[in-house]
Amino acid sequence: MARYLVNIDGKEFDIELEYRSEKYFAVINGKKVEIASYRLGESRSLLLINDQAHEVDVRSNGYDNRKVVFMKGMEIPAHIEDYNLAQLRKTAGMSFETGVARQLKAAMPGLVIEVKIKPGDKVTKGQPLFVLEAMKMDNIIKAQWEATVKAVHVSGGQSVEKGDKLLEFE
Amino acid sequence: MSRKIKKILIANRGEIAVRVMRACRDMGITSVAVFSECDKTAYHVRMADEAFHIGPPPSTESYLVHDKIIDVAKRSGADAIHPGYGFLAENAEFSQRCVDEGIIFIGPTPETIRLLGDKLKARETALKAGLLVTPGAELDPKDDINAALEKADHVGFPVLVKAAAGGGGKGMRIVESPELLQEALETAGREAASAFGDGRVYLEKYLARPRHIEFQILCDRHGNCVHLGERECSIQRRHQKVIEESPSPIMTPELREEMGTAAVRVAKESGYVGAGTIEFLVDEDRTFYFLEVNTRLQVEHPVTEMVTGLDLVKEQIHIARGSKLLLSQSDIHLTGHAIECRIYAEDPQAGFMPSTGTLKNYRLPAGPGVRVDSGVVIFSDIPVYYDPIIAKLITWGQDRTEAISRAQRALEEYRVSGLKTTIGFHRVVLNNKKFIAGDLSTKFLEEEYPNHTYRVLDDKLRQNAAIAVALDTFIRERKIAMDYQHHSDRSISSWASFHKRSNLRTFTGSR
Repeated sequence: MARYLVNIDGKEFDIELEYRSEKYFAVINGKKVEIASYRLGESRSLLLINDQAHEVDVRSNGYDNRKVVFMKGMEIPAHIEDYNLAQLRKTAGMSFETGVARQLKAAMPGLVIEVKIKPGDKVTKGQPLFVLEAMKMDNIIKAQWEATVKAVHVSGGQSVEKGDKLLEFE
Repeated sequence: MSRKIKKILIANRGEIAVRVMRACRDMGITSVAVFSECDKTAYHVRMADEAFHIGPPPSTESYLVHDKIIDVAKRSGADAIHPGYGFLAENAEFSQRCVDEGIIFIGPTPETIRLLGDKLKARETALKAGLLVTPGAELDPKDDINAALEKADHVGFPVLVKAAAGGGGKGMRIVESPELLQEALETAGREAASAFGDGRVYLEKYLARPRHIEFQILCDRHGNCVHLGERECSIQRRHQKVIEESPSPIMTPELREEMGTAAVRVAKESGYVGAGTIEFLVDEDRTFYFLEVNTRLQVEHPVTEMVTGLDLVKEQIHIARGSKLLLSQSDIHLTGHAIECRIYAEDPQAGFMPSTGTLKNYRLPAGPGVRVDSGVVIFSDIPVYYDPIIAKLITWGQDRTEAISRAQRALEEYRVSGLKTTIGFHRVVLNNKKFIAGDLSTKFLEEEYPNHTYRVLDDKLRQNAAIAVALDTFIRERKIAMDYQHHSDRSISSWASFHKRSNLRTFTGSR
């Protein structure tokens, strides 16, 4: 099971994929699709997407997230990211858990490069809190609103797992 | 006087060289290819009976060098040289050299090329033949800006400043208002001087939304001359045609008769021999103005072949041998409709920037009504040195609607990877309501697609492309994860192992 975020021509697709009994099952933006894939050699394959035939050639430079899909005589640029990593990147790395706890948890595993705050600091919206490295990218995690830092649970150089508590606000 | 032609040197490359070789083979004529360093394994070389290396990739050091071409002609014992289009096709000096060396140049005489290659003299020729030319004025080198302004006023703004020796949009400026004239005269003159070694410019009335309609002519050495109907080539970018068709959607038998006979009169007036094209601009009220003569076989000649059933290269060779035309005007009928889409290795989204590289996949369309003139095959390299045309798709139908739907079908059937091409662009244009209605002008592309956004993907295609990309990544990651698990008992997510495999740092703890 894997989940991706694919961008085609500015349009985003949330795709979950699963392999079961020789077939691929996808949920694309909430819609279920069944796919059979037959390799045609090199990067080309024949896809039967809900029984509709499409000959495709997906090309990229090694493990580049940018791909080019050649299909129906068209050349279509695409971008793909692991769904969770995309979320991490989008929210500048982390997501706030609002509500009673007012704490910040790691949405993905990564490495804390730098901690830019200490307990007692008053932070303003947009102020950098952490630099977290994930997927070779440094993500600056910013405060989403004004708050006072109550506790910091990580330090520079520390690896964190998904769900680890990073910081608590008052 | 009839001369034998048993071997032809094709002084060109790409699709047109292949096209000419096919006619040679049909006629039992031996073909000789020439090739530059980067064209060693090009398709035209593989198609030829004999092939000669003529130097480094830049055309000024290979395909354009008169001495080298003549030398190969002599060494191979070629009776004639076919110049194709571009390169030496409209070079009077080269044509003269062939005459001097006793080699047949498949094209008009040096005198005709010289006469018609000069746009001012070509206009005079057309006037003598009783044609309308767009209102214009010659400029005397002694004219100062006031004299030029007076002439421009007389022609009427907007005016076009054009180089007498011009072609392909070089040395050409549209001048909307008087205060912009001086600069246009200077820049166009400079451009023309450096491009053609002739800085003379003249003024021409600028038509707002004309159609480009041209007539194919064939003339033998015995004074016989016929026209093979028209081609409409209004779909242009940067003054270069990208889609051509025959017949024109606005043509009537009467107008064809009128324009066709006018074209033949120009050809006769210039002493034309061979295949040529008389180009016209047609105004919205169907007034037609002589534009210029192309003294060569044109890129878009196949649409005429499809509707007339003739092979124009064979006709050229036939004429070059000194034979009489086998057809008279009354034998020529246009049947059905043909459309040509030029497939360029270009990125239409980026203002038609050339896209070079290797064709990783290349499968051509086929089936009823489909013809492909391709200059490349799978794994061909598209070098930066030459025109980026890789192929021409020509479809024929009983009528325009069928020709368009066959073109759409064929475009969809193409499998090209590794390069950006104009295939998607053609699918978009052929689907345009105004195009389908035949409502064309040379302004079509800039009016309909001002921002060069030709990729109109529908949601279905976008979604399927997204699935293809996701599935491709998923399958790769699964394979890597499975390989990894083979070597290790550690349970690890496929995403993380995928990055380990690709030597990227991972973030699963053990740093």
